Amino acid sequence: MGRSPTTKDDAQALFQSLRSAYAATPTNLKIIDLYVVFAVFTAVIQVVYMAVVGSFPFNSFLSGVLSCVGTAVLAVCLRIQVNKENKEFKYLPPERAFADFVLCNLVLHLVIMNFLG
Amino acid sequence: MANFSIATVFVASISLLLALTHSFSLENPTDRRILVLVDDLALKSSHSIFFNSLQARGFELDFKLSDDPKIALQRYGQHLYDGLILFSPTTERFGGSLDVAAILDFVDSGKDLIVAADANASDLIRNIAAECGIDFDEDQSAVVIDHGSYAVSETEGDHTLIAAADFIQSDVLLGSTKIEAPVLFKGIGHSLNPANSLVLKVLSASPSAYSANPKSKLSSPPSLSGSSISLVSVVQARNNARIVFSGSLDLFSNKFFKSPVQKAGSSNKYAKSGNQQFATEISKWVFHERGHLKAVNVRHHRVGETDEPSIYRINDDLEYLVEIYEWSGSSWEPYVANDVQVQFYMMSPYVLKTMSSNNKGLYIASFKVPDVYGVFQFKVEYQRLGYTSLSLAKQIPVRPFRHNEYERFIPTAFPYYGASFSTMAAFFIFSFVYLYSK
Repeated sequence: MGRSPTTKDDAQALFQSLRSAYAATPTNLKIIDLYVVFAVFTAVIQVVYMAVVGSFPFNSFLSGVLSCVGTAVLAVCLRIQVNKENKEFKYLPPERAFADFVLCNLVLHLVIMNFLG
Repeated sequence: MANFSIATVFVASISLLLALTHSFSLENPTDRRILVLVDDLALKSSHSIFFNSLQARGFELDFKLSDDPKIALQRYGQHLYDGLILFSPTTERFGGSLDVAAILDFVDSGKDLIVAADANASDLIRNIAAECGIDFDEDQSAVVIDHGSYAVSETEGDHTLIAAADFIQSDVLLGSTKIEAPVLFKGIGHSLNPANSLVLKVLSASPSAYSANPKSKLSSPPSLSGSSISLVSVVQARNNARIVFSGSLDLFSNKFFKSPVQKAGSSNKYAKSGNQQFATEISKWVFHERGHLKAVNVRHHRVGETDEPSIYRINDDLEYLVEIYEWSGSSWEPYVANDVQVQFYMMSPYVLKTMSSNNKGLYIASFKVPDVYGVFQFKVEYQRLGYTSLSLAKQIPVRPFRHNEYERFIPTAFPYYGASFSTMAAFFIFSFVYLYSK
């Protein structure tokens, strides 16, 4: 009993600091984060659905889940490249990064469409 | 006019030839022409009941002395006979061109053979038997003696006339009527070569029998004893040629056919021995009047269709049909059994199914093609004791689904379709939001 309020306070303090730190994140990165969360959430829903109904159209399941996972991975790559605080991609213009992102997405969805049916 | 008469003669001779060659054929498997080789033509009268029963069933018997120089089984590559009866146990050498190799060649071409040996059987007869997996007792003077189940007679005798009643349990070999009376047997015993799986004991000696010389004192244990001694054996070769070996020639004689029989230690006295029934039934079997099967009209098709496809697809439902008939001696009768199985075979049977019969000879099996593609075979391997073996194989390829035979929009997969399209839409919306949010 003596420890639990402390733990709860710690968790709250951690959460508060995370929120305040995240509030400082630029808007374009927040948009990317939202997009990634959406993709991961869709993927999780599909895995749960597959566990319930069975793996029969396995190719459809794979393309559905991999489209979400691929989307999330590409979005994370974009986020790394356009993040101002990341010194590694200092000399890469964000326009170039976004163009790469779009091209990769087109290829990904082309493959997904072929594998879906 | 000359041309016309030549043509008539030609047609007439052809039809005469056809009339003459009404011998063993696939459509009529019963033998017709039989060569009987005897040591002594007196055998013709002393065994006349057996020979008459054969003639009454439509066989043409050709009696020859075994040393007749004109004996030939074939002429110009054609077999002259469909069956051979060797009632010449003491012959050391056949006349003419006949020898062990010629007899084995005769059997190899699907012809039938009855061999009767006797005490003092010659090496020639022993060699023929040995080639068929039957080993007569090597001691030339040995005969089968049974102090337990000998045939009771007025004189005490040496118990070499035995009353054997250990028949093989097979309706096809010995007929459906049970042989009640014991069979009188006086002759030599043999054992079966364990390496030969085609040879069967039809009449075995009783457990108290042994094979020895009755005139000398038994100094060492007999080489053959007990019910491992076979008195009469049959062989059905892989080409369905049938052979009967009997250790006793007297078994077929009129004297034994008619004599009353009483087994020692039994109060049952039979007015007539079982010899005639036994000899008649076993000769019916050996000359293909019984137990000869044929399979016709082998066909298969998809369920609901009648045409035979050249290829099946995986998971097709199909029906396989075959008609099996048994030769009754004069006509083909429907063969009724419940153990005919069909295999759908590629390296190993993927499907093994017992076929259902309509009791009119038609056998049907319906099954689903397995989910495996490749070159399959429909196989029927039917081997039953006494029956000719049926071995049918028909090749059929099985292909996978064509690309347009798969289901296209599966309801179960709709969430996956939705997810794929929603990520696409999300990408589109994200691009706008990302580019215009400054």
